[in-house]
Amino acid sequence: MIQSDLNIIMPEIVLAVFAMLALIGAVYSSKDKLAPGLVWVTALVMTAVAAWIGMNGEGSHPAFNGMFIDDAFSRFAKVTILLSAAAVLVMSQEYMQRRGLLRFEYPLLVVLACIGMMVMVSAGDLMSLYMGLELQSLSLYVVASLRRDSVKSTEAGLKYFVLGALSSGLLLYGASLTYGYSGTTLFSGIIQTATEGSVSLGMLFGLIFLISGLAFKVSAVPFHMWTPDVYEGSPTPVTAFFATAPKMAAMGLFARLLFDAFGADVADWSQVIALLAVASMFLGAVAAIGQRDIKRLMAYSSITHMGFALMGLAAGTEFGVQAMLVYLAIYVTMNVGTFAFILSMERDGAPVTDINALNLYARKEPARALAVLVLMFSLAGVPPMLGFFAKFYVLNAAVSAGLTWLAVLGVIASVISAFYYLRIVYYMYFGEEGSELQTNASPVLWVMLMASAAVMLFGVINMFGVEGAAASAAATLLH
Amino acid sequence: MSLFLIAALPFLGAVFPALLIRAGRNACSSAAGAVTLLALVGVLLHAPEVFRGETVTARAPWLPQLGMNANFFMDGLGFFFATMILGIGLLIIIYARHYLSREDPMGNFYTYLLLFQGAMVGIVLSDNILLLVVFWELTSLSSFLLIGYWRHLPAGRQGARMALAVTGGGGLALIGGMLLLGHAAGSYDLTTILERKDQIQASPLYVPALILILLGCFTKSAQFPFHFWLPHAMAAPTPVSAYLHSATMVKAGLFLMARLWPVLSGTDIWFYIVASIGMITMVLGAVIALFKDDLKALLAFSTVSHLGLITLLLGLGTEEAAMAAVFHIMNHATFKAALFMTAGIVDHEAHTRDIKRLGGLRVLMPVTFVLATVASLSMAGIPPLNGFLSKELMLDAAAHTIWNGSEWLFPVLATVGALFSAAYSFRYVVHTFLGPVRDDYPHKPHDPGIGMWLSPAILVLLVVAIGLFPEALAGEIVRTVTDAVIGGHGHYHELKIWHGVNTALIMSGIATVGGLILLALHRPLDVAWLAAPRPEAKVIFDACIGALIRAARAVTDTLHDGALSRYAAIFTLFTVGLGVYAFSTGEIGEATRPMNRIEVLPLIVWFCLIGATACVVAFHRYRVIALVIMAIIGLVVTLGFNYFSAPDLALTQLSVEVVTIILLLLALNFMPKRTPIESSPGRRLRDAVLSIGAGVGVGLLLYAILTRDFAFPSISEYHLANSYKGGGGHNVVNVILVDFRGFDTFGEIIVLGIAAVVIFALTEAILRTSVRAKLLNRKPDWPVAGDSHPLMMVVVTRLMMPVALMVAAYIFFRGHNEPGGGFIAGLIAAIAIVMQYMASGFSWAAARQHFPYHGIIGSGVLVAAVTGMGAWLNDKPFLTSDYGYIHIPGLEKFEWATAALFDVGVFLAVVGAVLLALESLSRYAWRPNTDSPYPMDINPARDDPRGGRED
Repeated sequence: MIQSDLNIIMPEIVLAVFAMLALIGAVYSSKDKLAPGLVWVTALVMTAVAAWIGMNGEGSHPAFNGMFIDDAFSRFAKVTILLSAAAVLVMSQEYMQRRGLLRFEYPLLVVLACIGMMVMVSAGDLMSLYMGLELQSLSLYVVASLRRDSVKSTEAGLKYFVLGALSSGLLLYGASLTYGYSGTTLFSGIIQTATEGSVSLGMLFGLIFLISGLAFKVSAVPFHMWTPDVYEGSPTPVTAFFATAPKMAAMGLFARLLFDAFGADVADWSQVIALLAVASMFLGAVAAIGQRDIKRLMAYSSITHMGFALMGLAAGTEFGVQAMLVYLAIYVTMNVGTFAFILSMERDGAPVTDINALNLYARKEPARALAVLVLMFSLAGVPPMLGFFAKFYVLNAAVSAGLTWLAVLGVIASVISAFYYLRIVYYMYFGEEGSELQTNASPVLWVMLMASAAVMLFGVINMFGVEGAAASAAATLLH
Repeated sequence: MSLFLIAALPFLGAVFPALLIRAGRNACSSAAGAVTLLALVGVLLHAPEVFRGETVTARAPWLPQLGMNANFFMDGLGFFFATMILGIGLLIIIYARHYLSREDPMGNFYTYLLLFQGAMVGIVLSDNILLLVVFWELTSLSSFLLIGYWRHLPAGRQGARMALAVTGGGGLALIGGMLLLGHAAGSYDLTTILERKDQIQASPLYVPALILILLGCFTKSAQFPFHFWLPHAMAAPTPVSAYLHSATMVKAGLFLMARLWPVLSGTDIWFYIVASIGMITMVLGAVIALFKDDLKALLAFSTVSHLGLITLLLGLGTEEAAMAAVFHIMNHATFKAALFMTAGIVDHEAHTRDIKRLGGLRVLMPVTFVLATVASLSMAGIPPLNGFLSKELMLDAAAHTIWNGSEWLFPVLATVGALFSAAYSFRYVVHTFLGPVRDDYPHKPHDPGIGMWLSPAILVLLVVAIGLFPEALAGEIVRTVTDAVIGGHGHYHELKIWHGVNTALIMSGIATVGGLILLALHRPLDVAWLAAPRPEAKVIFDACIGALIRAARAVTDTLHDGALSRYAAIFTLFTVGLGVYAFSTGEIGEATRPMNRIEVLPLIVWFCLIGATACVVAFHRYRVIALVIMAIIGLVVTLGFNYFSAPDLALTQLSVEVVTIILLLLALNFMPKRTPIESSPGRRLRDAVLSIGAGVGVGLLLYAILTRDFAFPSISEYHLANSYKGGGGHNVVNVILVDFRGFDTFGEIIVLGIAAVVIFALTEAILRTSVRAKLLNRKPDWPVAGDSHPLMMVVVTRLMMPVALMVAAYIFFRGHNEPGGGFIAGLIAAIAIVMQYMASGFSWAAARQHFPYHGIIGSGVLVAAVTGMGAWLNDKPFLTSDYGYIHIPGLEKFEWATAALFDVGVFLAVVGAVLLALESLSRYAWRPNTDSPYPMDINPARDDPRGGRED
């Protein structure tokens, strides 16, 4: 019994053991000199585990009496999480090392956060949900304030922590209410109680507080306030990490909770999710217009994108979940490329994040500028880039579910948000003469940027099969 | 040739110019021309089928689940547009070869041009509206690159930005519109959609879909109020303007309106939006064009005006109007492309496009003069040129249109538009070519080589030929295309020059004469125009963008000012709002449990709790005081547990409370003891209201829950029933810890141990760095108390030590049946030892501590593990518990459970872990010179009390 359970969570165990061994080893040797090697080893291990999960898995396997579920949905999310985290790690190595930020804790905290995320997307129980969420959050709090000598970084970390603790409290409160009224913490049990009778007020409160807690993690408006500060304050590689894997994990958990535990009362949560989606799309779109700092801009951009992903969720259908997964997979890939570029922005060796620095960049580096152009168009959802398909998927899901108003508002928001992505392109191609931006020639960043742009272009042929994987993932979630 | 190949040819061919530029400019342009020609031949090969009224199709699935397929089809409309795009493209390629100078990167230019051409062909041949949208945005993208081609012109930058912002945004709106349209029709295939007019127009999605689609069309075709971007995009090189902004890209919007005409038109909303906007655009564009001095700006606004004319015709919704629209699209493409090219020639030769600096060119550039004159007269609508024919059709259609009950509005406006149109056409010729020859041209102009005037010449030839023999040359095409537009067979008049004297002819006459008069009066009118205040669209656009940015800043400045308190306030407010929402939508039901009687004593304690909580808030700036009050709150919570019959929890709470307070004291040691006031009274009031609101909300919710039964019997029933039977203990909590959930506990003590060891290791590592020096040099912000080890404390703690250990032992042994157990006992023992550290000093205590804490933790884990493994001896799984009773003579019956042994392990691990962690942490505070060699710093018997005093 326990043997088969352990087999199912073996990927998580392997990663956890790796992290702890590396931690103990590094603590006792206490040498940050090991860190660059550790980053690469960690990225390799994560890639290997992702490949293992991706190739090995078939069917659905509940473990520990259903507390932990290994199915196509969780595998899809886990592969995305691990690969994007590995990509970000590899990208950050040189950047952090040159600026003396590379501590051995960094890769390990990323691994621990990833383990938390893997548990999150596999959660079949409020307990495992919370466990995974906290493991992830605690790691992220620390990573956010990794640059301890910077006031901004520590302030960002502290704010994130305080608000995060508040949201965790809300989530726990919701969980205990749900437990109180359903008598079980298992998702499969909760959904039965909800089906048998109409949802009681207590359950409704539980659901709403759970949603609030999770909305914080996906930085949906109005629980998004930490995002711009943390994105700006954290070291850029950390920001890149924030913008990728955790989004997938939080949305995955969101979907799992809503469909596995409350799938019988779509009507009760669909409106709330739709509200969060609309608020996020618009606030992100409008607020980003005034930003001069590209990291803050990406923060608002991520808020908008999460709004779109939530739109898929609000549809409450299998197609909606598929749309959300496709959206996130594409979004994460775009962000890896975009941050690969942001990481390479510098002037006289110091990192630059002001978008004015991009003036006439195309003249100096036509290839990179073209890649960024592709990524920006893709982020804006302009066809034929892959970002368009992502957006179209969720809009389609919303319309199919009868949420036409939501889709129309989404279109308007995407028109507004197109403005600031296009502005970046405009600066690069037509900006004014000014001090020039240098981009360092790190091959890793170059490869990531070009690969991501190429995916946005050539992915339109068949999306590299992500569509099918997302479809089967969505199917397992709903049955 | 397959439609796939036709659509793909320009894209595939786009590689050649970029590669062949190394072989020379001729090779480069020939390659581009050859590719275009090949595609054009491919289209023309299908002409027989198209004229028979058949459609050519090519289909391939792409992303079927999204409704997206690579389906192409070509009927009359597609054929017409494809021929026009490729044909004019070919002429432009020839023209550009001679127009571009040696310094211009020609390879890039032709590559972008072919990409653009491919996108345009894709739009007109798509049989899938999503595919159409993809090509649509591709045109925006490639046109962006084409406009940006002239990078060194500052004017081009603004233009490119505006063009991109307007058409890009419109394209996104179009996506939404197409999505809704496809949803209303149940298919994304154009051929299917075109058959479902009734279904679509009955759908509630019709209006939003229509508006979004029209937004896309109007932005692309520069219709009012989006007309301002087109003239600003004219900073691009002339071949680009001629191609994009006269013949092709701006016609994409018209194409789409014509394509969807069968399903979207025929309703009032279509008429009032499309026809009105078209009319406004036509008149407005014509008026502005008259007063532009830049040749290209004049042509640009004239293009806006003519696009408005076609939009108007499409908006009318009748078959005749549709035919007129098709005919005018054809005619406009011929004369306007020719005009742009002549303007380009003038610019190229005279090095200026400013009309005021030109004049008299007819002598110097006779060929250009002839071409420009013929094309202009066609634009002005002078017979027998083709512009006249389609203008007559338009005037005729307008004359029979009743707009909102008014019979005269449309005819009058149409005449005004035509009048201004004639005026600026005349002006283009008169002010550029006629008049005296000047001697102050920036560059002495003369006619260019044949390469440059060949393309406009071919077009002008068409202008004249169609004008003279409309029925023979264009009749068949126009009727076939119109059939495709209206989706059926219509009944049309023949195309001919002379219709007799009718309303349209009279209107046309008025327009021509009026045009001449306006031209004569141009100078005073121009002065008046320049003096008159008029809304400048670009200024408005910039102001809108500015306002948008200010609005965005306002949003971010109010919402994200960086203040955590504001974030928390929004967070709380919204959560309370959600709670209210849940409360108002859900059903609460009747209370099923009676309220307990309120006793006096608990009430007093409750007030203590509230009071203490309020005090924490009030005194939070004095951190030590706040900590002390927090300890009080902990105590009240402990009492609460006790009151609600949970002594075990109470004990745990109490010991955990003590340990955490000690930990916090340690941390406070490194921090300022007070914090300044930073918030205004208003903000504090806001926060107070919010937090009281949230607190009351939570309280009410709790009350509601507690007065109702749970949906299920809780799990505690099970444990109550089984703890004695299964685990041999009466204390349920302890049985759960050491028996039912023994495996968890085993894991937990290991984690606890690891945590302590890691804290220890980190301390070691950190204290080896420069941090230690900082710690040693720190100055406390508050004077340290004189005696760090007060006599009373030392005496009392030493007396307490054996007592506390005794209590721990007692708690441990009674654990299985009464409140207590290894965990709590461990905490109590740890507290007993910590007290020694606190009272007598770190050095004193450490010197007397002989057992390394690492060892204690390890032995605890080992004991627990061995106990667990003991079960294997009985062939039971790991950690299966067993118990029995032994009688020791002289004493009572004595229970002997393996769980108790396991509890020893827990006890040891807890003691070791807590002490190791606290000891490690306190080493940060430890300073060698502050330690007293005596166990008590103040001793009246000693003369010189010392130590601990720094001040």
